[in-house]
Amino acid sequence: MGASGSGKTSMRSLIFSNNPASLTSRLGATIDVEQNHVRFLGDLILNLWDCGGQDAFMDSYLATQRSTIFSHVGVMIYVFEVESRNESEMVYYADCLDALKTYSPESAVFLLVHKMDLIREPKEPVFEARKKQLLDATGDTVASIFGTSIYDESLYRAWSQIVHSLIPNATVLSKHLTTFADACSATEVVLFERTTFLVIATSSSSQSQRSALDPTRYERTSELIKAFKYSCSRIREEFHTLCVELDGFTAVLDEMTKNTYVLVIIHNPVIEVSAIKLNIAMARRKFEELQRVEHT
Amino acid sequence: MLGMRRAGKSSIQQVLFNNLAPKQTFYLESTMRIVKHTYDTIIPLEIWDCPGNISVDKVGASLAEFSAVIFVIDIRDVYNQPISKLVEFITAFYDVNPTVNFEVFVHKAEKLQDDDKYENFRQINERVNDRLYDLSADYEQLPLNFHLTSIYDSSLHEAFSRVIHKLVDSLAYLEHLLNVFIANIQCPKAYLYDVKSCLYIATDASPVDAATHSLSCEFIKLLNTLGPLYTSTSGTPIWSSDGDSALSSSTSVSSGSSDTTSLATKARKKALFYPSAATTTQTGTTVTYHLITEHLALLSLLPTVVYESRRGIVEYNVVFLREGVQEICDAEKEARIVDSGTETVKNT
Ligand SMILES: Nc1nc2c(ncn2[C@@H]2O[C@H](COP(=O)(O)OP(=O)(O)OP(=O)(O)O)[C@@H](O)[C@H]2O)c(=O)[nH]1
Ligand SMILES: Nc1nc2c(ncn2[C@@H]2O[C@H](COP(=O)(O)OP(=O)(O)O)[C@@H](O)[C@H]2O)c(=O)[nH]1
Ligand SMILES: [Mg+2]
Repeated sequence: MGASGSGKTSMRSLIFSNNPASLTSRLGATIDVEQNHVRFLGDLILNLWDCGGQDAFMDSYLATQRSTIFSHVGVMIYVFEVESRNESEMVYYADCLDALKTYSPESAVFLLVHKMDLIREPKEPVFEARKKQLLDATGDTVASIFGTSIYDESLYRAWSQIVHSLIPNATVLSKHLTTFADACSATEVVLFERTTFLVIATSSSSQSQRSALDPTRYERTSELIKAFKYSCSRIREEFHTLCVELDGFTAVLDEMTKNTYVLVIIHNPVIEVSAIKLNIAMARRKFEELQRVEHT
Repeated sequence: MLGMRRAGKSSIQQVLFNNLAPKQTFYLESTMRIVKHTYDTIIPLEIWDCPGNISVDKVGASLAEFSAVIFVIDIRDVYNQPISKLVEFITAFYDVNPTVNFEVFVHKAEKLQDDDKYENFRQINERVNDRLYDLSADYEQLPLNFHLTSIYDSSLHEAFSRVIHKLVDSLAYLEHLLNVFIANIQCPKAYLYDVKSCLYIATDASPVDAATHSLSCEFIKLLNTLGPLYTSTSGTPIWSSDGDSALSSSTSVSSGSSDTTSLATKARKKALFYPSAATTTQTGTTVTYHLITEHLALLSLLPTVVYESRRGIVEYNVVFLREGVQEICDAEKEARIVDSGTETVKNT
């Protein structure tokens, strides 16, 4: 949800269709609702509704289509342009919250303050002011709020959180990743969804070591790999695997299951890449099973 | 670098050598006077970013001192003004420095669709040559090269690489090493890249195709960004041989009670350690990356099956190539020290 031009379709095309940010200016306004089915993890299918934001459509969502639009919602993502100050937008937002409360009271709410790239540094105060305004309008509904832009990793941070909130038993996955990390002597192991490269789960041991790493590394890795995947597709290749032995760490990025990729990060220089690859190969069956069990 | 205002000169410099994201060039301020940037790779470069309105007599140095000229022209600017300016500079250079490499970057090429792009490129090329020919048939001798470029893709890197090749005296030796390398491991293509700028310094004799070039370019950019994400931000090592956490290692080292043999192995490993990486595609291509010197990396593209079955031979040949390249770099450096009394820096 969100006003027309706020950037909903743009973010969808980046995250789910592997398009680069530069092509979003060619998108036309969305007419009515565009639905996407994205197979995430095993049997978990994400059913994404991109609701065109022009007033006429909003009016109809909130009146005649009210129960269709707002029933069975897992998460509502509301996109606000950071610079827009539009009264009618806030009225629509309040009404959407109201409808959601009636038809999907369990639904999570995510607010994205979008096009953050358009404001000058320092961005923090601008974001905080907008956040306060939006949370005030949200009342007693619990909402998570993120500043986003299609031009940097912030979009991946927000969407990883959104997806994470939808995955049943994310903690079980995390537990198994931790076991796997220990078996590999890895500092950490990160599981990505295959097409979106959003982070699904991470291992949780070696806290003190991981705290020395860049806190934005997950979303930046998603963004980087997505950009590289796009470069591969431009020359009619498709990305498969990556192994690096850099000064300070070793990493392997490889398929884990049909729908996931695993990134293993190791700081122990004695451990060879081929050993990591072997460990991944041996862990595959277990993780395939895990996915199946979790969604049945 | 010369060209009209807003042609994209500063953007080119910043994107290549200052790691600026292409989109951020939008905020660059107009260049009011000549700004000299130095960049050290296999040869030291001094790049002069000139303001758009500069004239021949305002350059502030003899035109004879430059090794290469890059004239940047907006691809939509097929009209008189920039072309007159370009011709003015060509003729001025011809008088004092007739062997200078004159490179025309027909820039912002991504703005046009393919048909218009090639048509404008052809027109600019033709108009410049017609004008020069009208002035004097002598100008036909000039080594004048045209490139289609854009900061939004690797075409800029390719064009700038080609400019640098002409300035590297040891190019033939580097190319020879790469030719031997690809023959020995039977790989179709290998490049020697300057890692920070993603410019290739040399490649083997087989033709450069845009696809393998852009893939290797993007791979280097990926590695440049990925590296810092997973190395310690605080400077304390993440891992140590004698403890589980970074904390315990730093205390034991400072108290001098650490296991000396393991430290020695670590030091040895460090001295011989050269970063490397490989990526594979679903269609069975592998791109390898091996750091060769502090600045340069070898990128090779080969079938994944070949890479996997001949890994040992690949690594063995990398060692030889590394020794060769390092010797050439040392020789380049020495030569520079020897004639440092005279002219040392290549101006662009
Ligand atoms: N600067 C900037 N522009 C953006 C960003 N995200 C999207 N845009 C631009 O905003 C414009 C509108 O984006 P859309 O995604 O079509 O907007 P929408 O919300 O789907 O609009 P409706 O379909 O009419 O509801 C496009 O030109 C995008 O390029 C962003 O993060 N920063
Ligand atoms: N579309 C596009 N714009 C570019 C390109 N290179 C530079 N620009 C833009 O052109 C404008 C002028 O660039 P600048 O480097 O300041 O030009 P200068 O005056 O020649 O130094 C900036 O807004 C850049 O973002 C390019 O390859 N493609
Ligand atoms: Mg839309």
